[in-house]
Amino acid sequence: MQDHTQEQELTDRLSLIENMIAEGRRKTESWGWTFVLWGVSYSAAIVFSNIGAPIAEWSTYGHREIAWPITVVATLILMFVYIAFNSRKSGNQPETTIGRAVYSIWIAMGISMFLLLLAAGIGGKLDQQMFVGIVAAMLGLTNAASSMILKWRAQFLCALVWWATAVAACFLTVALTTMVFLAAIFLCQIVFGTYGMLSEARERKTHEGTPGAAHA
Amino acid sequence: MPEPATDLPDLNPVIHGKLRLALLSLLSTVEEAEFTWLRAKTNSTDGNLGAQLLKLEEAGYVQVEKKFVLRKPQTLYRMTESGRKALTEYVQALKQLLGAAIHN
Repeated sequence: MQDHTQEQELTDRLSLIENMIAEGRRKTESWGWTFVLWGVSYSAAIVFSNIGAPIAEWSTYGHREIAWPITVVATLILMFVYIAFNSRKSGNQPETTIGRAVYSIWIAMGISMFLLLLAAGIGGKLDQQMFVGIVAAMLGLTNAASSMILKWRAQFLCALVWWATAVAACFLTVALTTMVFLAAIFLCQIVFGTYGMLSEARERKTHEGTPGAAHA
Repeated sequence: MPEPATDLPDLNPVIHGKLRLALLSLLSTVEEAEFTWLRAKTNSTDGNLGAQLLKLEEAGYVQVEKKFVLRKPQTLYRMTESGRKALTEYVQALKQLLGAAIHN
């Protein structure tokens, strides 16, 4: 009888360790919305920079040059305000090595893209295909690295789409490049982001009411 | 949380407490964690959690860092190398004991 009780206690301890490790690793952050937000932002920038011009001239430097910087800055502000609000509401999530690896890649990509596009634009070395090529190649790189860290096949598919877009930008006409770019934004930002949000919501629902150690 | 009396001499008594074991398991998955996050994950009270974390800190299994972020106090806990080693040894001992229990 005592042996059985002791064995049960040991099994309970082992289950407690497994449950707590699973609980600690459980992804509570939600990042799907950022893909959707940036997808809408890119699309809005294309529309704003295209107002009063044929679609093939959407990124022509002239009166429409402020469309991209304004949209990007506004999106950044929106994103940080939402993150700060959410962090205040639900408390800070602990940092993990994987989490830091993923967001450091995205931050580094954002800085690289900003510096390169700004310098190339000011230096007059940026045409429309090159713009799409740089953005798509960098997004391909970041999505691929992130998908390999997270072992997430769906994100790797997005990387393939972005790489294909970058290659296509070197061969297609300006109008076709624009169409391909818009299609990639729709697939890899809006559709993928929505899928991410749905997956995150499903995961949260699955873990609702998980007991802690006090009830273990 | 009351600690049940056990007759398991091979298991580290500092880690064997349910809440302390839960805390070390949680801390093994993250780099550092806030007091509030640990409290939410373990469904424990402030007093009990603080007392158990203090025991782990005294044993050298966790490190504590207190700081202010935007003028708000924040207490961060991280697992030390000896804490990680102790948890690994505890799990190994647990498996051995369970294996012996099954064979008996």
